[in-house]
Amino acid sequence: MKDEHIIKILDGAPLSRLSVEQLELVRSHSRNCVSCATAYRAFSVSSTVIKERAQVVVEPTPFFQTKVLAALRERQSLENVPVFSRLWKSAGALVASMAVTTAVLAGLSFMVPPAVAPAADQTASAYSAESLLLDQGSEDQMSYEQVLSTIYADDEAK
Amino acid sequence: MKAFTQLKSFEGRGSMEGWLTRIATNTCLNLIRSAKRRPESTVSDLTDDENKWLDAQLSDVAGEPRHSVEQTLIAADLADRVLNVLSPEDQMALLMMDGEDASVKEVAEATGWSESKVKVRAFRARKKVREAMEKLLGPRKGGAVGNEG
Repeated sequence: MKDEHIIKILDGAPLSRLSVEQLELVRSHSRNCVSCATAYRAFSVSSTVIKERAQVVVEPTPFFQTKVLAALRERQSLENVPVFSRLWKSAGALVASMAVTTAVLAGLSFMVPPAVAPAADQTASAYSAESLLLDQGSEDQMSYEQVLSTIYADDEAK
Repeated sequence: MKAFTQLKSFEGRGSMEGWLTRIATNTCLNLIRSAKRRPESTVSDLTDDENKWLDAQLSDVAGEPRHSVEQTLIAADLADRVLNVLSPEDQMALLMMDGEDASVKEVAEATGWSESKVKVRAFRARKKVREAMEKLLGPRKGGAVGNEG
């Protein structure tokens, strides 16, 4: 039998779950194969240490109960605090700084006069005068019918 | 504590026992993850007690572990050394299956993994641990030794 087959049996299941036939097969093969014997030896020892490891009961620290109770109390006190104040606690600094920045910018925009550009201003007034004149002209303009009737009246008079 | 604080999240679809097991498993997994991993141990890293324990184990024909508290702790330290080569998930699978005799189904239920995933993890973990133990045992004498087959 190939070595690989024995090793696959070893890696395939815990030592305690190997059947009698499988164990016999492994042992008989290991008697004639150094590498499988080494693997079986290591497998047996590692199975033992893992079993022993599982038996070790980890005792909690003497302060475990105190810590748990403190954590519980902290959680309960957090649940009693309103949502807004919890939000304010976490984002208060950011919101306050944003509000201060907005107030400063608003103050600056009212206090400091805007810079005047003369050329642009003149152009703007020229355009305004022109449009004013045109607007006035448009109001005085005769209608098409009035123009026609005036022309015909002139022709008839001639 | 976690179960108590997360009680609201229990929807009652599965069993309470399964839900608690899952919480305990995930907590343990996180603990293993947070533990600092040490490099793989070599023979020279072993303490005198650990060397003696291994020698005694190999010379013991019956292979029965010694059940004194001290011996158990030495064995547990050795287990930690070899388990250190595994990922937290593989450690969990191996400890549950080989240490606590849990079935594949039980491990799958506790971890939320598929049964095939549990089998693969346990197989891989057993192989790695065996190889790490072979290195630790090194040239020690003991057990059946024969010709290369």
